[in-house]
Amino acid sequence: MHRVASSGNTANSTRPRKEKRLTYLLSYADDEKHCAGINCLAISKPTLDGRGHLFTGSRDGTLKRWEVNENSAICSATFESHVDWVNDAVIAGDNVLVSCSSDTTIKTWNCWSEETCTRTLRQHSDYVTSLATAEKNSNVLASAGLGGEVFIWDLETVLAPVSKSSDIMEEDSSNGFISSANATSVGSLRAINSSTSISTHTNQSSGSAPTVAKGHKESVYALAMNDTGTLLVSGGTEKVVRVWDPRSGSKTTKLKGHTDNIRALLLDSTGRFCLSGSSDSMIRLWDLGQQRCLHSYAVHTDSVWALSSTPSFTHVYSGGRDMSLYLTDLTTRESLLLCTEEHPILKMVLQDDNIWIATTDSSIHRWPADGRNPQKALQRGGSFLAGNLSFSRARVSLEGSTLVPVYKGPEFTIPGTPGIVEHEILNNRTHVLTKDSSGSVKLWEITRGIMVEDYGKVPFDQKKEELFEMVSVPAWFTVDTRLGSLSVHLDTPQCFSAEMYPVDLSISGKAEDDKVNLARETLKGLLAHWLTKRRKRFGSRTSSSNGDVLSGRDFAARSLDHSRIEVDGNADNDSTVYPPFEFSPVSPPSIITEGSQGGPWRKKITDLDGTEDEKDIPWWCIECVLNNRLPPRENAKLSFYLHPCEGLTVQMLTQGKLNAPRILRIHKVVTYVIEKMAQDRQSDGLGGEDAPGLPLRQSASDGPRGLKANPKFKSLIEIWCNNQVLPPDMSLATVRAYIWKKPEDLILNYRVIESK
Amino acid sequence: MGATGSKLEKALGDQFPEGERYFGLENFGNTCYCNSVLQALYFCGPFREQLLDYYANNKGSGDAEDNLLTCLADLFTQISSQKKKTGVIAPKRFVQRLKKQNELFRSYMHQDAHEFLIFLLNELVDILEKEARAAKNDSETLSPPEKIANGPKNGQPNGVHKEPLVTWVHKIFQGILTNETRCLRCETVTAREEPFIDLSLDIEQNSSITSCLKNFSSTETLNAEDKFFCDKCCSLQEAQKRMKIKKAPQILVIHLKRFKYIEQMGRHKKLSYRVVFPLELKLINSVEDADAEYSLFAVVVHVGSGPNHGHYVSLVKSHNHWLFFDDENVEMIDESAVQTFFGSAQEYSSNTDHGEARWDGMVRYAL
Repeated sequence: MHRVASSGNTANSTRPRKEKRLTYLLSYADDEKHCAGINCLAISKPTLDGRGHLFTGSRDGTLKRWEVNENSAICSATFESHVDWVNDAVIAGDNVLVSCSSDTTIKTWNCWSEETCTRTLRQHSDYVTSLATAEKNSNVLASAGLGGEVFIWDLETVLAPVSKSSDIMEEDSSNGFISSANATSVGSLRAINSSTSISTHTNQSSGSAPTVAKGHKESVYALAMNDTGTLLVSGGTEKVVRVWDPRSGSKTTKLKGHTDNIRALLLDSTGRFCLSGSSDSMIRLWDLGQQRCLHSYAVHTDSVWALSSTPSFTHVYSGGRDMSLYLTDLTTRESLLLCTEEHPILKMVLQDDNIWIATTDSSIHRWPADGRNPQKALQRGGSFLAGNLSFSRARVSLEGSTLVPVYKGPEFTIPGTPGIVEHEILNNRTHVLTKDSSGSVKLWEITRGIMVEDYGKVPFDQKKEELFEMVSVPAWFTVDTRLGSLSVHLDTPQCFSAEMYPVDLSISGKAEDDKVNLARETLKGLLAHWLTKRRKRFGSRTSSSNGDVLSGRDFAARSLDHSRIEVDGNADNDSTVYPPFEFSPVSPPSIITEGSQGGPWRKKITDLDGTEDEKDIPWWCIECVLNNRLPPRENAKLSFYLHPCEGLTVQMLTQGKLNAPRILRIHKVVTYVIEKMAQDRQSDGLGGEDAPGLPLRQSASDGPRGLKANPKFKSLIEIWCNNQVLPPDMSLATVRAYIWKKPEDLILNYRVIESK
Repeated sequence: MGATGSKLEKALGDQFPEGERYFGLENFGNTCYCNSVLQALYFCGPFREQLLDYYANNKGSGDAEDNLLTCLADLFTQISSQKKKTGVIAPKRFVQRLKKQNELFRSYMHQDAHEFLIFLLNELVDILEKEARAAKNDSETLSPPEKIANGPKNGQPNGVHKEPLVTWVHKIFQGILTNETRCLRCETVTAREEPFIDLSLDIEQNSSITSCLKNFSSTETLNAEDKFFCDKCCSLQEAQKRMKIKKAPQILVIHLKRFKYIEQMGRHKKLSYRVVFPLELKLINSVEDADAEYSLFAVVVHVGSGPNHGHYVSLVKSHNHWLFFDDENVEMIDESAVQTFFGSAQEYSSNTDHGEARWDGMVRYAL
């Protein structure tokens, strides 16, 4: 037998193929701000007015362009397409912004355009952590990531017109069909690349594929290139600095010395000197010519995550996990604490005499830094001599001689929205309670995508307890907060497991016993804009036929599935979006999803133009919204027994197991009991030999068809479970979860209260 | 069987320890897994003491139902109170109780000695906890009436809260491991503590217990498809994980994973690797008691080539003598033989099926 499992990246081949999921991202009212930590900063070359623009890339998955003046910063563009953290960004030449992400892609953008992604490169198979360009050779781009992958790209080829594209390039799937007439020709190429395999990729169209820098055994966390693009350095969990020739991708040397992960690298313009910052809390200066470490500076008390040098490479600014920014003279080893942030420092960039600092917080600070004359800062006093053993600084701080930062507060702040750090899905499975990094506790209604309550800074757990409701609704969605806001994930078929009665959602105009499927209505709400555009484009015929949605082979392959798919109870294929599922057009959510081709993409729901089809959106979402077809559901029904209370002389109504919707209310059970009693009274002597299960489905779940229950009589029947009287509004699922609390089938007891 | 006994007595001569008893245990058909472990436990000083005490204290209340604890206490008392110094005893009541308790051990199939030891210790803990709780309830005038309703504060359904009790079994065998995970992105270290009653070690060809322990607490990177969900980053990130022994137990039980599941064969295969074990062991990577020192006092050995057949024997150190227990038989054995015999099993097993292959070493605290 051949063994398939457990050799590298084969997880996908061994697991059963999973349907693609649809995720939507709840947005904040203020879309101009980042809502998660800032991983990267870049400054464009000064424009005519003398100032460069600041570009920021965030853990919220977006990049932003800022027009910054002395005391203002205006967000002039948001680049939205990555579906995970943006880890690094560089500006190549004058116009090209390149970003890399934990979504394993590298994207290129036109710095000054209307925010559309020009290329998506899918060569990496794991998170892409860092990028590097050459100041004087804007064509060279290097990318590195987890799993030891390092690639060197020729940007000119990458950005060349699509007709020449090879399998490693593609039009961005989310934008391609809007902006480019070539989209269809690319479509055929997209499918090939999805199984990116670094070693086996062939370059049919030579030159466009990246040069592979082979040799890293472990993950790369830092990268740097010299001015002319002739030298590349990388560092990571291997604890060594590797030096490459980017033109050939061959290793030239490696430098040992650090004792932990290397998180930051810098090269001087000539490529002779290299600075490295490491989780061992040290900064090291290397002479690449002599292949040795010239200096090690013990400045920080914790990991060094970011380095920035003066143009002359005489001084270095460093920041890291200890939240402190130091300025160090590389020759004299004099060091000065410039400022302390409130969060760990992830990135710095110098602009004239100032320094921009990005942290794990969503805001960005600008501090004075004397970048043009760092010696001046050091002369002001307060500096210390950097040790060369990692514990020496730690010892200094232990001895209590705490350093006082030169600057107390930032000169200017670009505020961000505090990201969500904690969340709890409430029992009603409609509300999610969140706590953000500022400590504010908020309540979100995920079916409308809005914040419904801001409790301010209150204890999260206490609020959670306060909001506890004894209700049981199936988990129809999952949530994560890696992008700083709530990502709500819908997976088929489990997302279709939750239903509610119209009355509970205050929906009028529907029959009392209609069941509203929460996922279906949510999908309708999310795709309402898409549907309108689509109808405008294709006319209304599409909604009635499958042909447009599922084409050719795909349809044939799935027709089996379709035979099992049930058309929802109420046959009317209404596309009306009910108020509880209306998403705000002012701050619309973004959806993150992928169809049969092209990989995942992200876009605001209002930016969908109706051309998106099964190649872009999971087929099951389209089926649900267009044709009202839902996959077969399990667990919509619940089994239980209905027995008289002990000691009651009342005749057993039924002995068999009954089946009812999980959401059935207790008062419906009361109705059923009354009906059965009335029936028995009529057919006295027959002994009630009804088929178990069947009557309930007829009478209780779909509304009483036979006898109308006498309301006076109703109050005289009580339903009990586990020695407790059940409130009439409680659902069977809730009774099972909170009163019955056993894995066995639920047993309900009824009791007649004798009227006086 | 009397002959064996007398032979052992002769061998020990006037060195026969005062008050000590060396008895073989009868095999009821593939119960050597049980016999070998029982012998090792009998010669585990603190364990035997506690068990004999337990028997003495509970003699009066004969109304209580039999359980594994009472059966074991009974057996140990029986051995220790024998008039003869050597001989054979049939652990009938205990084995019957064991088979009644767990269907796993009911058949005549070959069983795993390690599985049995863990089952037995957990069972003893359960019984002791139950007794302790009952005693507590008795002392508290009346047990509080069971509450019917569970208020909203209780949160999840079926939430029964049990506070952990420390029994004498815990005191003897339980240590604490710290599982440290460091996210490689934010570098936050998350430490989780886990109690353990034995260390299961992966083994390698031509290695030693010390190197196996080193591997056990070496750093493992969680990456690729197996990333770590970091609460601080709210996302999956690479992480480094390592296990440290935080609190060393009084008696350290080490289990060598000699039975490896081979996917291709769909069954377990025995790894007949040579693993050297020292008579004195230092735990270097423990956090609290800087260097815990142990000396070996019992080894449970699996003889044979596969997991489904073979035989279990045990080697036990008692009063500075090493004894070899093979069901009914008890023999003296030289200390040097203990190590060479089992430590260099590879050569020995090459052409006979008496290959040493697997053992639970029970190492006693010496300091």
